Amino acid sequence: MKQIQQQLIDDLSKASSMKEVEEIRVRYLGKKGLLTLQWKNADFKSMSPDERKNFGIEFNKTKNLAEAKIREAMEKQQAAGSRSIDVDATLPGTDRRLGCLHPITLIRMELEEIFHGMGFKVLAGNDVEEEFYNFDALNIPADHPARETQDTFWLTNGMLLRTHTSAYQVRAMKKFGTPLRAIFPGRCFRYESVDASHENTFYQLEGLMVDIDISIANLIGVMKTLLGEIFRKEVTVRLRPGFFPFVEPGFELDCQCLICEGRGCPTCKSTGWIELIPCGLVHPKVLEYGSIDSEKYSGFAFGLGLTRLAMMKFGIPEIRLFNSGDIRFYGQFPASGSI
Amino acid sequence: MKISLEWISQYVDISDLEPDTIANNLTMATAEVEGVEILTRTIQGIVVGEVVAVEKISKDKNLSLAEVECGGKRYMTVCGAPNVRIGMKSAFAPPGVTIAGDLKIEKSRIAGHISEGILCSSRELGMSEFHDIILEIPAAVKTGTLLSEIMPEKDAIVEIDNKSLTHRPDLWGHYGFAREIAAIFGRELKPLDLDDLTAYQSLPEYPLEIQDYAGCPCYCCMEMKLAVRPSPLPIQWRLHALGQRTFNLLVDLTNYIMLELAQPMHAFDGDKLKAVKVGPFGKEGTFTTLDDQPRKMQSKDLMIWNEKEPVALAGIMGGVNSEVSESTSKLLLESANFLGSRIRRTSVRLGLRTDASQRFEKDQPPINTKVAIQRFISLVKQSGADHEILSRLTIDGDLKDDFRPVNVSVDFLNARVGMQIPKSEMFRILKSLGFTAEDKDDKTITAGIPPFRSAKDISIPYDILEEICRVYGFDNIEPQLPQQYTEAVHVNVKLRNEHKARRTLALGHGFMEVHTYSWFDDYWLQMLRFDPGKTLVLENPSAGNMSRMRTTLLPNMLNLVRQNNLHRDEFRLFEMGRVYQPTEDDKCDETTRLCGISYRQTKSYNLELHFRELRGILEDLALATSAGDLSLSPLEETKDKSTIAGHQAKIMINKNKVGFIGIPENRILKELAPNAQVIWFEIEFDKFFGPIYPAIKYERSSEFPGSWMDFSIVWDTDAGYDKLIEKIDKFSHPLIVKREFVALYKGKPLPQGKGSYSFRYLIGLKERTITGEEIEEFKKQYLEFLKSQELELR
Repeated sequence: MKQIQQQLIDDLSKASSMKEVEEIRVRYLGKKGLLTLQWKNADFKSMSPDERKNFGIEFNKTKNLAEAKIREAMEKQQAAGSRSIDVDATLPGTDRRLGCLHPITLIRMELEEIFHGMGFKVLAGNDVEEEFYNFDALNIPADHPARETQDTFWLTNGMLLRTHTSAYQVRAMKKFGTPLRAIFPGRCFRYESVDASHENTFYQLEGLMVDIDISIANLIGVMKTLLGEIFRKEVTVRLRPGFFPFVEPGFELDCQCLICEGRGCPTCKSTGWIELIPCGLVHPKVLEYGSIDSEKYSGFAFGLGLTRLAMMKFGIPEIRLFNSGDIRFYGQFPASGSI
Repeated sequence: MKISLEWISQYVDISDLEPDTIANNLTMATAEVEGVEILTRTIQGIVVGEVVAVEKISKDKNLSLAEVECGGKRYMTVCGAPNVRIGMKSAFAPPGVTIAGDLKIEKSRIAGHISEGILCSSRELGMSEFHDIILEIPAAVKTGTLLSEIMPEKDAIVEIDNKSLTHRPDLWGHYGFAREIAAIFGRELKPLDLDDLTAYQSLPEYPLEIQDYAGCPCYCCMEMKLAVRPSPLPIQWRLHALGQRTFNLLVDLTNYIMLELAQPMHAFDGDKLKAVKVGPFGKEGTFTTLDDQPRKMQSKDLMIWNEKEPVALAGIMGGVNSEVSESTSKLLLESANFLGSRIRRTSVRLGLRTDASQRFEKDQPPINTKVAIQRFISLVKQSGADHEILSRLTIDGDLKDDFRPVNVSVDFLNARVGMQIPKSEMFRILKSLGFTAEDKDDKTITAGIPPFRSAKDISIPYDILEEICRVYGFDNIEPQLPQQYTEAVHVNVKLRNEHKARRTLALGHGFMEVHTYSWFDDYWLQMLRFDPGKTLVLENPSAGNMSRMRTTLLPNMLNLVRQNNLHRDEFRLFEMGRVYQPTEDDKCDETTRLCGISYRQTKSYNLELHFRELRGILEDLALATSAGDLSLSPLEETKDKSTIAGHQAKIMINKNKVGFIGIPENRILKELAPNAQVIWFEIEFDKFFGPIYPAIKYERSSEFPGSWMDFSIVWDTDAGYDKLIEKIDKFSHPLIVKREFVALYKGKPLPQGKGSYSFRYLIGLKERTITGEEIEEFKKQYLEFLKSQELELR
């Protein structure tokens, strides 16, 4: 038995693969293994009880040792990269079920979560809107260029496809009254030829806050907080005059270019600033249209171009890709967003 | 809109300010600056010369040999400009001087003649891009004068984004910007030199009548004689710097004043006019503008009439029939005010947009009609040109020259800004912008809105707020978050469920979310032989075949199969989008739909299994959105044109129809993708949701193991699973914990039309382990039940 033991140790020391160790295991411990046969072929009848006992002890000792040595050799081989089972963990996975969400949805989910956390309701207006809510109620006069067919899709029944999510402002005011904190994302339409940088169908997200003594300082404060959440870092913003009939005063909110940090680069056209959010204090006429006392209440409104934000965030160079129907485009946005 | 800072410096001292500083401050307080361009004129060594002799030396090339006298020195030069003539003064570059383009002038031989130096065009002096004629310098300038002594070498041109000026008609001229810059930097604004015109009060009025005050609120005119001569150099270099050609004093002055005051002017040939009327064209017809183009006129187009003959397209362009020519002895100077929307409508329709129409579109203040004429006369006098005034200033309409008072509470202003701005600062800012400002009482100020600011732009306290804070500086306002909101913010159940459905499909079932347009493509509908019936229709669609608003998402989604079938062997797509149904009263019923498509590029895959995958997805959707119990009706074949032909089954929630699932017929499949399986579903999503956080009730599992038992039952596949379930679920037994469907087997040795449906029952009790006898008894009863139902075990 000692001889077998030594032989096993010698064999194992020469083994260079898991397969060889396995062969050794079979050779010694298999059904017809050298060690197994020692037991099977032993002539117990001719042994005295003491001999039998000693043989048993000796056999078990040898077997245990053999098993331990083989296990050790296997572990050594495994550490060296050999496998004991036929599973290659490095092969690519199958049966994957994670699909894709539209980049607009990803941005929407993220913004809705941010705004919800800031106390804003999420609402939705309609794509097909009355002329009144899209224009008149927003203090856009009858002779304004935007109302002509050059810019607006009109329906034969006199309604139109909303040109901005602002169209829901007055409806939201009427429906929910004050105080009001709400956002309303949605599809918007402009009568335009589609090319790399123009689309007739795009997405906006409108925000509205109406309460007692809402100020320009509040507007800047909320916008700064919002952008900090979107870009996950402190952002520098600036407010400059911008003209929109439904706000007074109206602003363009620029954010310092995050790529060059204001030094000037192709993204910001060397200005150091990215024009991001048109906003302003809600025009008192608009509050009145929304049945809100403009003497007592004030508010601010802002518009985020979701499509534009998605282009910035995901580096999408052409606006027409969003509605292209091309799965090679949609396939690049795994459903990793969440709320 | 381009602004010359050299011009601005005539009214405000900006000598210590960098152009970029001015540009940046304008962006922050007034209007967006798109860029600053430094203009450098190459005028070193250029002298004023008089052409004393001209001789044509070539017919075809229009070359002349000119003799130029420059303060005692005479040069011979070959010149190709058509306007060279004896007696004119121009800019001369003698040999050795370098002109624009880094070109050094040397004595040379041209067309067989010695040419010493050149007579310069504007471009050769770096003043502009114009180079077809040589510069004309007024006779009053002495020959031999160095140009660099009378013309500034540098200018900075600030380009303003026109879109940020739509509400500021006063900023379409340099003086408006000068006022802004003076206010922003706290400097003095020098007044314009204006002639008070009192000297002409005794002259007769010009016959003038406005017949349409809505379209033309105010019209000023004056008849005069004016010598044809070149404009003073400052007028020329400024116009050139801003990309305007120069012609002669009359034309240049009308352009100059437009760029200075934003008030367009027009000069008629006074010999051809007897009286002026302003009114609509009145019918359809043709009118020839002074660019010799016949224009198709409509009845409402506003015209200037000479008695019964139209002579100008109001606010856009004059007529060829009243154009000033060389034979003109007197002229009628027009300075009028027109309603912006009227001018814009005509100009857009005719595709004729001019500097004048661009300004009138913004609704200019009427006061400027008079100011422009005062300025014109003042500039004529400064130029020293011969002139004679023939009529007094004649005005019809309202000049609206009063300051308009508006009362504003100081508390209101501070509350809306969100900080305290001292009242003295408010006064200073308002006055710097040309407003008046005074205390009404201790809490209220009265601001007087100057007549040059449009009423559309400024009329209410909020407008005064804007004026004060933009000059005060938005950057000086400290950001401040609004007070904490204590009200609970409710989740929008409908929108949240839309997201839930999106995530169920995308996270759990490999779907890809897509967007398609909100309208149908008629050509594609024809291919599908699908007729949506009545839809909402676009008045001005992006293309003729895209005028009908979608009433279902399905056709556009099917088109994506055709579009993408080469990119992947299989894919699943969905769209969550709006559809638009016309209502009885011709309005719109807008609802949300969810449409899904599963595509497999093979026919060998088991279609039934493919369909069951989709059904499983719908079941998951119903569960995830807590919509209710989902069931499907049996598939039925349909050729109805109001649906996508093929097989369809109703999708039901709690027995109510919420949508359809279907397989298109082969003819359609061929259009989509040959040799493929396509299964679609479309759900009326507004009917497909329940609570976001459903009340789920926990049921305790038994602690005692139960027994599993399998039975396979042979059944008609055509009759369907639901019918079988209806039958076997008649069997009730207290030991049944649950029943599961395991598999369906079709094929040998079963006959055609038969299937083997395997079910697995779990039987047991909550209180104890069941005995072998109980199991045997259950089995016996079940088999007896099957027999009674004439159901056969396999």
